[in-house]
Amino acid sequence: MYQALLTRRYLTSKVMPLLSMAAVLLSVATVLITWSVMGGFLEVLLGSGRKLIGDVAITWPNVGFKHADDLIDRLEDHPGIDRAAPVVETFGLIQLPDAQVREVFIKGIEPESFGAVTDLPASLWWRPIEEPTRRDTARLDPRLPENTAPDFMAWTLNNGLSMTRPDDRTGEPKPAAILGITVSGMNRRTEGGVYEPLAVIRPEASGDVAFEDVFMPRNGEIAITVLALDSGGRPIDSVTRSFPVANEFQSGIYDADSKTVLVPLEGLQKMLRMDEARRLVQRESFDPLDPASSAGELVTDPERVTTVLVRGAPGTDARAVQAIARDVYAEFAGAHPGEVPDALSVNIQTWEDLNATLIGAVKKETGLVLFVFGIVCFTTVFLVLSIFWSMVSEKTKDIGILRSLGASTAGIAWLWLRYGFAIGVVGTACGLVSGYLIVTNINAIHEWLGTTFGLVIWDARVYYFTDIPRVVEPWRALVVGIAGVMTCVVGAAIPALRAARMDPVKALRFE
Amino acid sequence: MTTDQPIISVRAVRKTYKLGRVRVPVLHGVDLDLAPRECVAILGASGSGKSTLLHLCGGLDRPDKPGANTPRPSITYRGRELTTMRGPALDRYRTRDVGFVFQFYHLLPELTVLENVTIGAMPGHGRLSWLKHKPGAIERAKALLDAFGLGHRLRHRSAELSGGERQRVAIARALVTEPPVLLADEPTGNLDRETGGTILDTIEGLRDSMGLSILLVTHDESVADRADRVVRLIDGRVVGGAGVDPPVAGGGGARREPAGVPSGKGPHP
Repeated sequence: MYQALLTRRYLTSKVMPLLSMAAVLLSVATVLITWSVMGGFLEVLLGSGRKLIGDVAITWPNVGFKHADDLIDRLEDHPGIDRAAPVVETFGLIQLPDAQVREVFIKGIEPESFGAVTDLPASLWWRPIEEPTRRDTARLDPRLPENTAPDFMAWTLNNGLSMTRPDDRTGEPKPAAILGITVSGMNRRTEGGVYEPLAVIRPEASGDVAFEDVFMPRNGEIAITVLALDSGGRPIDSVTRSFPVANEFQSGIYDADSKTVLVPLEGLQKMLRMDEARRLVQRESFDPLDPASSAGELVTDPERVTTVLVRGAPGTDARAVQAIARDVYAEFAGAHPGEVPDALSVNIQTWEDLNATLIGAVKKETGLVLFVFGIVCFTTVFLVLSIFWSMVSEKTKDIGILRSLGASTAGIAWLWLRYGFAIGVVGTACGLVSGYLIVTNINAIHEWLGTTFGLVIWDARVYYFTDIPRVVEPWRALVVGIAGVMTCVVGAAIPALRAARMDPVKALRFE
Repeated sequence: MTTDQPIISVRAVRKTYKLGRVRVPVLHGVDLDLAPRECVAILGASGSGKSTLLHLCGGLDRPDKPGANTPRPSITYRGRELTTMRGPALDRYRTRDVGFVFQFYHLLPELTVLENVTIGAMPGHGRLSWLKHKPGAIERAKALLDAFGLGHRLRHRSAELSGGERQRVAIARALVTEPPVLLADEPTGNLDRETGGTILDTIEGLRDSMGLSILLVTHDESVADRADRVVRLIDGRVVGGAGVDPPVAGGGGARREPAGVPSGKGPHP
């Protein structure tokens, strides 16, 4: 029982335990902050997948597959599936207003079904907003009412939702494209995390420079060029078509925001010759001399899509949705033998599968950073060990006195282990609270560092997320907490053993 | 038990310390008896081995193992052999049967006076056992401190006490478990003559009132003169008689309590 009394008294009357506590506090807070920020980055990355593709993509690339409507009906009949959307995906070239030609990833979509499966409506950037983004303290965002007419922003939002833009002359809605926010190069991200439209500068023959006021959702147009393939995958020809721009989207994923163009599904299907087609099938019994026999018969080839995106019912995990999609696709393939890719060949992948390289890299980086910080924090064990070693030396006489009072060797060891445990618990608790407060306020702290010292660690122009992502998971805090306490107990173990094995007579004579 | 049977008996005890590669013999076959309610002073110069002998009697140290030409050493307490006792039994012996008082008091500076005394009763108790015995121990500690004139300083730290007061706190700590034997190592060595005299009065009073057996180590002839019997230790050897003297003057047959000190709930609060 003397251990409890002495632990309490030693804790409150010495500077050294405060040093140990500070070491544990810093280690625990550092690991928790790192893990939370890196984990948050990973979670945002994984969450972005749902924004872009839903839960699962069923893909037969380039050539595409028929009867997607049937597959979508079958999927949507399953209680585990919320919605499914047909998509055509291809690579192509885009010609921008400043005459640049860039390679892009083009997706043909139906705005309604695609919007239901993904979070496209929420990702449309040009929309009316009342409050500025947190970083935009100067209220420079063009979407704010004081900067651009709210009606105009509402107009661009509606255009984006319907993927149309009224024709400048007739006012008739024309099929329009939605670009990733940085595809056109006409938007510059400011430090405030908002996009600033840029003007097109053209040199003229006279030597002057002409400024052309192009704002993509208002008067921007793009021309896209794709390579059409036949159903056997053989190139037919290249097709170019112009689309007005309805809106731009920001998903937070660099590749998507800089390289993806969304166009109406029907338009892209036509360009790629993947729309419904009629063709003449020559009859084997055709006799050119017999007027009664005809040359062949007209058959209809159903339209094709390369991808069906699937969103699971609320609460259904992406892996569960993937399993359902596999089962449904197997039934679907059984119903259309020879017409669609077989169930073993078709790609049925989650966002994580599709971006395994990027997500795997972030996971590995998270692991690596945690490992490095773990090693750094492991030095806390030695710090605690050296502090406890010194404290045991300082308290040698106390150990001798306690032994003379009948304290056992195990009792003395427990005194120091308990003391280490108490320091670990207090230091860890303080570390967890500090870490939690820092993580939850990390953006405000970062902003303060930026305004006070000009220190910008998280540049929104680089990372695309306006705020530093962070997730404080209770289980992570628990793991870090246990590790923090164990660090102290392990650090205290050797000095505790030393104290226990101390010769009481020598301890009493210690000066 | 009669006065003829010593409470502590030491026979043929040798002790050698190793200082690096050098072996330094400190005790050369010491014999000593301490009778119940007897106060024996071990008188010797610095380095004569008197503190070592006290530590051996208190179970803090063990004598050398017997050699080919040396007899088996023995230290017995009420007939029980200490030299062969295992750790836990020795710990219990130090908690219940002997109380130590040191020259430099050896109080724990972080604790209050009352805690410094009650901590003497804590070893050997688990959490539940201590909850049961704690009120008795505190009552006993307060009574001892009251009897020593320290009842008003219970909440003070040792740094706030004078040397004499610290030594009285140390004596209270040694006696809080009501052990039959007090082992005092130069208890007045760090005090002025007057304060030292007061401490010796206190110890004598305890011997008389509680029936304590006292082994008192000192280098001071005047301190040794106050004991019932003096054993001189010169260079690790006892010079003169070491056996039990006739019944001790003033030592009553039954154990008595000092004035104001209530009887404990048992031998081990």
